[in-house]
Amino acid sequence: MFTPTPRVQVPNAATKGEIFQVKTLIGHQMETGLRHDDQGNVIPRKIVNRFVCRYNDVVVFGVDLHEAVAANPYIEFYLRATESGLLDFVWEEDGGGVYSLAHHLTVG
Amino acid sequence: MVEETWAICSTRRGLFTAAAGFASVALLSPPSAHASDDPVALIKQLTGKTPTESDRVHLAMPRVFPNGYTVPLTLGIDSPMTETDHVKYARVLAPRNPLIEVATFHFVPQRSEPRVSLRIRLAEPQYVLVVAEMNDGALLMTKTWVEVATNGCT
Repeated sequence: MFTPTPRVQVPNAATKGEIFQVKTLIGHQMETGLRHDDQGNVIPRKIVNRFVCRYNDVVVFGVDLHEAVAANPYIEFYLRATESGLLDFVWEEDGGGVYSLAHHLTVG
Repeated sequence: MVEETWAICSTRRGLFTAAAGFASVALLSPPSAHASDDPVALIKQLTGKTPTESDRVHLAMPRVFPNGYTVPLTLGIDSPMTETDHVKYARVLAPRNPLIEVATFHFVPQRSEPRVSLRIRLAEPQYVLVVAEMNDGALLMTKTWVEVATNGCT
């Protein structure tokens, strides 16, 4: 079975107040529930339906994803550096699967 | 930004796709009446509020793209992102997809910027819409035409 693998690209350090770029990608088929298999049965929907980024436990960015997001969802966004700490990235899948990554950011 | 990239790499295949795109537009026009053809009516139906078209909302997508499986999208909204003036969310819709919702981005004042990139699926050539709700409840929208050569939703 294919295991979704999350990846992020975030700077290790930033100056206070700076806006920095975050690139995230998770390997995931994003099965839409619109496709049929060889026997004509519907392949059930299984997509990553939610992505959340927390900065020291405060939600700073979130996305609701639907069927029309391409496979292997890539999300690029921008955050403001406020203090040193932990960035948590969480992807939630249909059926309750959760994938996450953490990254430490030093703010000077 | 995306449009520029695609203009630069105008390969032979790109030109063919563009030509095919023009041909299909010519054949299909005038487009058949479609319930979701009026973006304002569609958004009003979904949100209960009337959006206004605004140049503060920017949506960059390639005008012509060879496949509908992974079409790049970049959106941005001009906003100071202060407590008193910020974007709450931006919602992307593809009215001619079998399921029109694409994604909704939630922003937090002073913490995140209303600027994102994503790759989406499109079933057929269509206007892609972005609706942004501001903190005062105003709905701002923009749309951009994208011509895909293959259906990305099957």
